[in-house]
Amino acid sequence: MSKGAILIARNNGNIDYVKQSVFLAKRIQHYLEIPVSIITDSEEYLKLNFDYTVFDQIISIPYNETANTRAYNDGTLFYKTADFKNDIRHEVYNLTPYNETLLLDTDYIIANDLLSSCFNSNNDLMLFKSSEDVAKVRNEKEFDYVSDYSIEFYWATVVFFRKTQQNEIFFDLISHIYKNWKHYTRIYQIDSPLFRNDFAFSIAIHIMNGFQKGNFAQPLPGKHLYTTDRDILWNLKDDKMLFLVEKKNYLGEYTAIKTIGQNIHVMNKFSLEREIDRVNNE
Amino acid sequence: MSRGIAVLAQNLDSVDYVEQACILAMSLHATNPNSRISIITNDIVPEDYISLFDKVIPIPFGDSAKDSEWKIENRWKIYHASPYEETLVLDTDMLILQDISFWWEFLSQYELYFTSKVLTYRGEAVTSDYYRKTFTANKLPNLYTGAHYFKKTKFSREFYNWMEIITQNWELFYGKFAKENYPGRPSMDVTAAITAKILDCESEITNNKTSFPSFTHMKSQIQNWSNPKSSWQDCVGTYITRNCEIKIGNHLQTGILHYTEDSFVTDTIINRYRLLLNV
Repeated sequence: MSKGAILIARNNGNIDYVKQSVFLAKRIQHYLEIPVSIITDSEEYLKLNFDYTVFDQIISIPYNETANTRAYNDGTLFYKTADFKNDIRHEVYNLTPYNETLLLDTDYIIANDLLSSCFNSNNDLMLFKSSEDVAKVRNEKEFDYVSDYSIEFYWATVVFFRKTQQNEIFFDLISHIYKNWKHYTRIYQIDSPLFRNDFAFSIAIHIMNGFQKGNFAQPLPGKHLYTTDRDILWNLKDDKMLFLVEKKNYLGEYTAIKTIGQNIHVMNKFSLEREIDRVNNE
Repeated sequence: MSRGIAVLAQNLDSVDYVEQACILAMSLHATNPNSRISIITNDIVPEDYISLFDKVIPIPFGDSAKDSEWKIENRWKIYHASPYEETLVLDTDMLILQDISFWWEFLSQYELYFTSKVLTYRGEAVTSDYYRKTFTANKLPNLYTGAHYFKKTKFSREFYNWMEIITQNWELFYGKFAKENYPGRPSMDVTAAITAKILDCESEITNNKTSFPSFTHMKSQIQNWSNPKSSWQDCVGTYITRNCEIKIGNHLQTGILHYTEDSFVTDTIINRYRLLLNV
């Protein structure tokens, strides 16, 4: 059985997902000891600017524009609006060269070997369902359900899957949901028209479970810890990360929080890139 | 041992509880074809629906709820009126959405059984005591009479005798056992809980470790919503297929659905059941 990790990098002019992918690939190799492949529309940029040999395979996809845009915060006082190219994740089932794939967002920073146990698990599909905000000052209920009246929320940030007939149907279903997103936002009472993989994966899991609670998707090992883009990654060294997390009711002020040996979803991509540059220049 | 469902229905000017009982009977026959259900009522059961019922039974001992708004004064009579040795009592505003025949094996281990754990439409256990402050404040057993079971035994009869006494003297008993968050009107759930306390029999009549028998309780404030509205139907949609499978907010409903809002019963739902069962 071939196994490996897959990262998706589609730059948007403001955020360098290719840079993040190279950085994360090295950490995956270090902590999980598995090969890493990249799906990218920027192969030339990758080869010209980075050590692309870190990747097992480079899977090139055509560059295209998107109408999907969103605001990306850099702490509580600054944001940029940029393209949000998130419409390829459902195609990973067909694009991955591996029988067992760990699909990760490029801003999910690996700092331990916990996820390597996925490959020894009997579960063919695993995602995070429960999560914890490192800052502990925000409403975490928004990640319990897709919306207040809707279905349970699953994170598409990290997905482990095997190539099975059921998972093929699952990814085809996500593709269908993506193509009919407007319809699904209505019937699942999703307020924003913005396509989100977390929502599409959650809807597909709900359907695969027969529109009930079920065990089609199992939880990944560990807990999904995250910082939002209103927090700042201040320092990253080996398995240690120092964050400045948003202080409640004090706009522009932060609290320092240190993590050791924890995988963290670092949603502030600007601060992540600053840290990657600093680490690379050391 | 004869087994069956009993439902007590007394119409109000504004609510046709007999019609609700008829829809409940249709839902039973759609999912449990060999089951029996009897209706206890003094109202007229429409001709089209009579064949759904095993027996149509007049309310015994006269109508004790003639002048009552909530019509619960006759509820204790179900024990005496039921034609079955083992009875599952249901509220009229319920639908049976799956085969529940296996419940009987579980229930027959008890003489009397009340669920103490109900579910949201998402299949989660209800944890909120929004509508049950009296129970929390007075440390009453968290019993739900909406769906409960009894076997005709000495113990069950004693329990129901106490239910009768408390129903007829509810202010006295509620004043003693439910003085915190005192309910302004009689409630069968509170009455059953006080009875259980008097007889000190909670562990013999409920089991909060089992996931069934239970029901989905569609009261708006206990659905784990951050922003509930007064009617749950203003928050989530209902879909019913031609096979009478029901989804609420895209969640397929199973077990027993306690829809609680009379406006839930629409012509669409009635006609789907009538078509399915050729009624």
